[in-house]
Amino acid sequence: MNAIKQKDLILYSGLIILGLAAPYLFSAFKVQLTYLCVLIVLAMTWNLQGGEMGYNTFGNILFYGLGMYLTASVQVGMFFPLAEWTESGGEKTFVHTTAQYFQGIGVGLLVSAIIPAIIAGAIGYAILGLRGHYFAICTLGLGIAAGEIAGGIEIIGAGQGFTTPPFPAEIVDTEARGKFFYFLSFALLIGTFVFVKYIYGSRFRLILNAIRDNEDKAEAMGIQTMKYKIVGWMVSAFFCGLAGGIMGGLIGYIDSTDVAFDGREMGVFMVLMAILGGKGTLWGPVIGATLFHFFKEGLWTLILGWQYVALGVLIVVIVIYFPEGLMGWLREKYPEKFGEVIDEKDRKAQVELK
Amino acid sequence: MNKLTKLFITFVSAITLTLASISSSFAKVEGDYIVLGSAISLTGKYSSNGVHTQNGYNMAVDRINKMGGVEVQGKKYKFEIIYYDDESNPKRAAQLAERLIKQDGVHYMLGPYSSGLTKAIAPVTEKYKIPMVEANGASRSLFTKGYKYLFAVLSPANQYLEVAIDLAVEKNGGKGVRIAQAFEQDAFSQDVRLGILDAAKRTGSEIIIDDKLPKELNDMAATLAKVKATKPDVLVVSGHTKGALTAIRQISEMKVDVPMLAMTHCDAAKLSKQHGKKSEYALCASQWHKNLSYKDKFFGSGKKYDADFKKEFGYAPPYQSAESSAALLVFKDAFERANSFDRDAVRDALVDTEMQTFYGNIKFGPGGQNVAKPMILFQVRCKGDDCENKVVAPTKWASDKFYHPIPKWSERS
Repeated sequence: MNAIKQKDLILYSGLIILGLAAPYLFSAFKVQLTYLCVLIVLAMTWNLQGGEMGYNTFGNILFYGLGMYLTASVQVGMFFPLAEWTESGGEKTFVHTTAQYFQGIGVGLLVSAIIPAIIAGAIGYAILGLRGHYFAICTLGLGIAAGEIAGGIEIIGAGQGFTTPPFPAEIVDTEARGKFFYFLSFALLIGTFVFVKYIYGSRFRLILNAIRDNEDKAEAMGIQTMKYKIVGWMVSAFFCGLAGGIMGGLIGYIDSTDVAFDGREMGVFMVLMAILGGKGTLWGPVIGATLFHFFKEGLWTLILGWQYVALGVLIVVIVIYFPEGLMGWLREKYPEKFGEVIDEKDRKAQVELK
Repeated sequence: MNKLTKLFITFVSAITLTLASISSSFAKVEGDYIVLGSAISLTGKYSSNGVHTQNGYNMAVDRINKMGGVEVQGKKYKFEIIYYDDESNPKRAAQLAERLIKQDGVHYMLGPYSSGLTKAIAPVTEKYKIPMVEANGASRSLFTKGYKYLFAVLSPANQYLEVAIDLAVEKNGGKGVRIAQAFEQDAFSQDVRLGILDAAKRTGSEIIIDDKLPKELNDMAATLAKVKATKPDVLVVSGHTKGALTAIRQISEMKVDVPMLAMTHCDAAKLSKQHGKKSEYALCASQWHKNLSYKDKFFGSGKKYDADFKKEFGYAPPYQSAESSAALLVFKDAFERANSFDRDAVRDALVDTEMQTFYGNIKFGPGGQNVAKPMILFQVRCKGDDCENKVVAPTKWASDKFYHPIPKWSERS
């Protein structure tokens, strides 16, 4: 037991050191690395619903988008009139001082974590009674509706989009912005990972699994499933909101349907990444997101105009060859590495039965 | 080794290979080539206009390279462009701009298609002090941000249809008109709307319908039903290519009678080709028309550009292509005047640009917008099934008479 823990320790400290050194080692790739951190966070939080709880949600993009708008709005609104900032497509520009910028984004991120969580609680109360496909379709609608609604709200720029405050000009170093957002997202990644790992070791995960495997039985055993489903969703919303807030600042321009409530891309990607890596596992989403990001960044520019065809092929390959994801596939191949003991006699007996 | 393991190994080695290939970076000037970068919409909702833009860029690169290239410090250089596909998505565009600059070492950028994407890219080029000449980001708010490295060869979006309102008021004997308007919810169209609001205020006109349409616009029947009921004097629609196509399709299907119809993106949508006679009388804002009398030594006149472009790409150039070609002429001119590859020297040369191209005069205002070229309006006129765009405003370039009001559908054959 101790040996495994020591191995874990080496692995984790190695990854953290790699993460901290990455922006210096691969200086030109900082933005992509930041995206990678955010993608992993999104995949991990989606996995809590889709993988552990068995509720396939397409609605997590709602919290991501909300986080984005909230962070930017707070960052502007704390110091300047928000309505004037966004009026006529953002013609007026107020300049944040360095202190204002960081204070604003700090408070903004706090808000963008809490409010989506509260909203997740409220919406969850209303719709988590739905199951299976009904829940999936309902959440799909949430993201789309949010995009259309945000596109009509003048104070956040409506259809013209919302330009987030530029990085303070007083900081001359052009690398500073990239580093700031990278470390912010890396911190979020570590926070999310630690929290999810904690959940994996807790009774909470077992309850989520029980809901996935048989919700009625779980209820019959005296588990208040609704309560746990809502809490699970709120946890996801909390981290998705933060991820959105960071991305808004990094991208610099928020568009209602293409950047914030981007269900067509981010919303689908987070599902795809979790499935690619293997849903219902701790490392699956991490590996899935990493592979997916490499695939996307590496190959997409080589096949200009055909990348969505390639993505379609990838989805087909994943579904046919790795229905349980990479982790699931590895688990089937090398069960002993996952601490599973297989009774050879029993296995043979089952094969014969078939 | 079973099949799956092999597949996995292939996958991993593919990733390794691509990583290795993208880390080999280009330089701003490589050998005889000046490398420009551009994120362009080859897929997604702006893909047709993205391709128009790319064709415009490519046409100018070929032409300039063929005619001797760019001379800097006595040496001839050729242009080369690195393209990425931004998927019509601002998030992707900003990321790709970063990639072009940081990983590909690009020092000079060409703009993407659409205002929204330009809004996303401009902060990135500004941060790294990379001069960007863009030809397709018209939103007024781009030019009020104090960007120092952004130069647009086109007129701002709010000017697109102002002229149309003036024209309607003129036809109404100087009295204000009743305007119905419907705009897509995106940066460009909403800016066109601001222009109309200003024009309405100026002329004492009244806006009776003010609708917002969703992106990827495929249906505006609700707006048209209202138009049928309220009978406005002018109907203004803007929503990129899809907006123009949807408007004509549904107006003709629903037989909506309105005395004047003003739109954007008619030529990019190839309206008259797609809808033939149904699109007749539509009034369209345009940055450029082949009949205008501007000239330069690379493309000759607008008419010559039109003919050459048709030969090369098989369709008549919309203004999106023309303005994109003009962007490269501006870059060439700036490099030669700067006589250096220093980014700030090139930027300073761009500020002082004052030239005529086949596309129009180009001189940049303090915000980076082109202040030397007016917008024009053309009207679709048909003889039988053969439709043509005739310039009708402003009067200085008007080659034809403006036909007003549009005859009712019951009177149209």
